[in-house]
Amino acid sequence: MNNDNIIDFRSVTFGFPEQVTLFHELSLSIRKGSFYLVKGPSGAGKTTFLRLINRLEEPISGEIRFRDKPFDSYSPPVLRRSLLHIQQTPTVMDGSVAENLLLPFSFKNNSHLTQPGQEKLEALLREVHLKDVGMNDHAMNLSVGQIQRLCLVRGLLLSPEVLLLDEPTSALDRESAQAVMALIERLNVESGLTILIVTHRTYGQGRIKPRYLRIEEGRIEESS
Amino acid sequence: MTIGIIEIGPFQLILALVFILAAGGASLYHGLKLEKDLLVGTIRTFAQLFLLGYVLKFVFRLDSVWLVLAVFLFMIVFAVRIIRSRIKEKQVSFFWPMLISMTISYALVAFLITGVVIGANPWWKPQYFIPLAGMLIGNSMNAVAISLDRLLGELKKRRQEVEMMLCLGADYREASKDMVKNAMRAGMIPSINSMMAVGVVFIPGMMTGQILAGADPLIAIRYQILVMVMLVGSTTILSFLGVRIVCRRCFGPAQQLLLRPERKRGRKTKMAKGTQP
Repeated sequence: MNNDNIIDFRSVTFGFPEQVTLFHELSLSIRKGSFYLVKGPSGAGKTTFLRLINRLEEPISGEIRFRDKPFDSYSPPVLRRSLLHIQQTPTVMDGSVAENLLLPFSFKNNSHLTQPGQEKLEALLREVHLKDVGMNDHAMNLSVGQIQRLCLVRGLLLSPEVLLLDEPTSALDRESAQAVMALIERLNVESGLTILIVTHRTYGQGRIKPRYLRIEEGRIEESS
Repeated sequence: MTIGIIEIGPFQLILALVFILAAGGASLYHGLKLEKDLLVGTIRTFAQLFLLGYVLKFVFRLDSVWLVLAVFLFMIVFAVRIIRSRIKEKQVSFFWPMLISMTISYALVAFLITGVVIGANPWWKPQYFIPLAGMLIGNSMNAVAISLDRLLGELKKRRQEVEMMLCLGADYREASKDMVKNAMRAGMIPSINSMMAVGVVFIPGMMTGQILAGADPLIAIRYQILVMVMLVGSTTILSFLGVRIVCRRCFGPAQQLLLRPERKRGRKTKMAKGTQP
């Protein structure tokens, strides 16, 4: 294992019950602080790949390691908080924007984390073009695009080491999508946050040269 | 005060079948195609209850603790099988943990009622233990089935919400807290409702049976109160245990939700906005 790697797949095989194997003997490494774009045709397993990293799915065989330790050596909630996955379908609870943003701090595994103040929350919302959204607004009344950004901000409050984003800009207009990508790029550059993004969008002229993971027919090929 | 019970003879039983004939006639007339089910149901009712009568007579005569416990266990095994068959969701197996938790909780409640409250001597006296345990199992079985069906249905329907919480660092208990609460409520409400309606809207079967057998109504109501209280107790214990045990089995070793949405060919569903909790 190279110290530059944060996640290692070792001969990982995965398939859904009663379906053909999706990944067979998959081995690859995710470099710490890198910015990956995950590409591939629909149904190739892009979302499943992210879910395997987040332990929402478990391999049939093989091993996945985080910081050179097997996944089993971390408690699942702690691992998931570090390898934060933001779902393709943005989901909020019935409550205010503030209640939704602070939801993770109500979980006992996050009780040691400092709850962010109103200023920090507002600054992050501004950065993703949600300055018009009030803390007391009902989260379920927001548009899909606004919920998508709210979910991203909520995840970032947990200071993850790896951010797994599944189509984070799918419901956004061009301007909002650019703002979201700019925030993600800033976190990658300034905080060294490792990013994996599943996206169908073409990556524009950002300030980062991304690495590509192409998933097709059960294989993943890395390129830069 | 005791009054001699009027015995029902074979002719009277056959005469009562006129109601089944009427139901069969209605089914034929309206094309309901229930005639076969009615026939099988009638035969089973006669056969099962006659068999039960002879078994109870045998058990009462032998007066053996082991035999009483065997009958008790037999009833629980069948109750778990019925619960399993009533629940549509088949991805999670729970036969053995449910059998163990049901045996422990029924044994506890039945012992408390017969041994402590009624004061039967011995506590397993078949005349008390078997009918009371039977009522307990039969009634709370429905509550457990309702609870579990609700739990599994909600976990599946609200999968996105559960996984969202897991992703944010919740453990499986926190992620499923709301669904567990709803499932427990769903299981407990029928027995609480029947406490509200008993004696006003309906006269319960046990009380009716005792009165028909010649018991003083004031004695019959005391037994009925015991049964009602016992049912609330057992449905609470079982909803609590059953829902928690099955909920744990819905999550894997990594606390990942194991219930998967049914995959339908050519149809992909997407949530357009936040989930309704």
